[in-house]
Amino acid sequence: MMMQTQVLSPEEKKMIHEESIRILEEVGIKFPSERALDILEKGGAVIDREKQVAYLSRQMVDAALKVAPKEITLAARNEAYDFRMPSTFTGYHMDGCGMNMVDLETGERRSSVLQDLADSARVFDEMELGYIYWPPVSPLDVPGQARSIAATATGLINTSKHIQDEMKTAKEIPYVMELLKAVLGDDKLRVGRDIYSVVYCTVSPLCHDTDMLEANLELCKYKVPVVALPMPAAATTGPASLYSNVALSNAETLSVLVMFELTEPGVPIIYASSLGIANPRNGLFQFGMPETIIQLVAIIEMGKYYDLPTTIAGCATDAKGYGGQAMMEKMATNLPLILAKPDTLVGFGMYECSTTLSLSQIIIDHEVARYCKRLCEGMNIAPETDFFEDIKSVGQGGHYLKQKSTRAAVRSKEFYQQELLDKGSYDEWVSMGSRDMNTIARENALQILEAEQKAPLSKDVEKVLKEIVEEASIKLAE
Amino acid sequence: MKELLNKMRVSVLEGEEEDAVALAKQALAEKLDLKTVMDEGFVLGIREAGQLYAEGEYYLPDLVCSADAMKSALAILDEALKKPASGFTSKGKIVMTTVQGDVHDIGKIIVGAMLTAVGYEIYDLGSDVPNVVVLEAIYKIKPDVVGLSALLTTTMVEQKNIIEDLKVAGTRNGVKVIVGGAPVTHEWANKIGADGYSDDAISAVELVNRLLLREGMKA
Ligand code: B12
Repeated sequence: MMMQTQVLSPEEKKMIHEESIRILEEVGIKFPSERALDILEKGGAVIDREKQVAYLSRQMVDAALKVAPKEITLAARNEAYDFRMPSTFTGYHMDGCGMNMVDLETGERRSSVLQDLADSARVFDEMELGYIYWPPVSPLDVPGQARSIAATATGLINTSKHIQDEMKTAKEIPYVMELLKAVLGDDKLRVGRDIYSVVYCTVSPLCHDTDMLEANLELCKYKVPVVALPMPAAATTGPASLYSNVALSNAETLSVLVMFELTEPGVPIIYASSLGIANPRNGLFQFGMPETIIQLVAIIEMGKYYDLPTTIAGCATDAKGYGGQAMMEKMATNLPLILAKPDTLVGFGMYECSTTLSLSQIIIDHEVARYCKRLCEGMNIAPETDFFEDIKSVGQGGHYLKQKSTRAAVRSKEFYQQELLDKGSYDEWVSMGSRDMNTIARENALQILEAEQKAPLSKDVEKVLKEIVEEASIKLAE
Repeated sequence: MKELLNKMRVSVLEGEEEDAVALAKQALAEKLDLKTVMDEGFVLGIREAGQLYAEGEYYLPDLVCSADAMKSALAILDEALKKPASGFTSKGKIVMTTVQGDVHDIGKIIVGAMLTAVGYEIYDLGSDVPNVVVLEAIYKIKPDVVGLSALLTTTMVEQKNIIEDLKVAGTRNGVKVIVGGAPVTHEWANKIGADGYSDDAISAVELVNRLLLREGMKA
């Protein structure tokens, strides 16, 4: 049996779906864009032009669900890292858009810069369970309008894995397309591979943002995969029960699905949410909380209910840096989610409610991810794991160390191979410098950065990418 | 009268907006002395709510309800008088806004509620508000303080732009500018010449109190 988490019964999933349909039909959702409203109206929505609200019907949702692809491949520059959804295990993202960095040299928190993105991509590239690089911090040393483009380019240069980012305005699209073209070249087999996807956030409760909406309407024609990621916090931007907040988030995700499937039928949409619960004293968004985790599990179950590829927020903490709270919340925002089997989980390396990045935490989080994967795999009860003959031959007393099956098993998936956890003796630990996990992870990060990059882009292509960023920095600033 | 004043206090304390509005209308209809209505009625309620919050008894939603009840009652009195009834009781006027290009509004709403709860009068302009609209509001309302919220590294610059525009218009000295939002720091606030920064709503109240006290204003 495999371990698994479940918070919703089949009837409860149905109830949440019905509640979401009711929200879309009776309350409606705001699309502050005439172009969007026109498309929705043609698709059968009742529109209140003055309020810019569209009332979406059950039939519209059903039709969108029907045309939405159930299988999506987030391709990578290096095909070995292509990630197919649905997946039998959970792949990890980097988490996007923070603005602080724990400096690897000093350990101090400071504003993030472009070099931090390059470094994070290099470290991420080495993480076996990491598949999707969402630039984790904003490069504050780059002019405002060109930051996303610089981040995407830096990702493409420093990791050969899939790149995911946001499209904040339509003006960014041509530059991103240029970047992709430069990387994929003219090779017919490679063109059209989705090595790039976008994250699209709704504005809870029940709104879309004009710029992001129009940018993504435009992007639809390229069939770039879209992660639909609402973030309602129960009690502030969402209703104060877990049930209704999940229903609200679900309604918003469905509204993204309807909008973009109407615009471009068959565009790949990934079901997602980063919902949570507000701190009722000060209103701050709380990630590492039981209620957030329960809702996230419910969201994974809803994604599966619709048979859609599913991405979930997690691997997060509200702690300000490495330590007890961080690790407690990291484990709690991984394990129950992984046991509900989302296709992907966002993401490695962040503290402070996903605003602060640490390179060593990327490596620690990867250990957490591997550990959870092992837990998820559970116990294999099968003829090949039935060692009755060993039990019989060893009999009473003695040991199993000399059994052939033992020698094979310790190298198999049955035995978890830790990379950072300390499982040695006290003296051994002292002789290794009495290091904690963060110290070891930091040394590993330094090693990765000092080593040669594995599959770098050719210097020519790298140069082209940098020129595109340069141009964007000038043109978009105008 | 005493009983009515108590009802006013309770309506705000308990965050019953409709009751507060009805009572404000009653006060007008009965031509009661509005200073007494404020000072010995509604204002007591909001002070108590703030006190309960400080003591840990009240939560954020309680406070927001009280703040809104207060605001609505005030609005009724203001309108009837065609001038701010609150002028003589409010600790100061504050314009709050989330800057242009930024739709994160809940942080600013919370800061506004907290300030209302301690007796300031809040004008909330909304979110993604164009700089020109913010400037117009500043000229029109003449607030003691303007609070600019920015949650994006790309929109923080609007805080700077607004301060610059105020300087150009020669009105920078007439108003205290405070800034906040997730990516904003003390260093940023200093760099752009803001008068203050805080990273949560409770310290925002302390900040405003401090700023206005230093100026020897009404607080
Ligand atoms: C919820 C959320 C959203 C919601 C907002 C819904 C809403 N109605 O407000 C949605 C989904 C719409 C959203 C959209 C986006 N978001 Co957002 N969002 C958040 C999140 C998770 C929580 C924000 C929040 O509500 N906090 C709760 C309130 C109470 O806290 P607060 O706003 O910080 O306010 C407190 C203090 O800052 C202070 N304060 C605030 N304002 C002021 C003003 C003054 C004068 C003072 C004195 C104090 C003060 O007091 C408040 C109360 O204690 C943050 C991450 C985070 N933890 O902050 C990201 C975050 C702010 N978002 C971010 C980004 C990038 C975006 C998007 C671009 C897309 C995306 N990937 O999320 C879009 C941008 C849309 C746009 N044009 O504005 C980044 C910004 C960093 C950056 N690199 O620029 C963050 C930090 C995400 C991250 N990496 O963790 N987001």
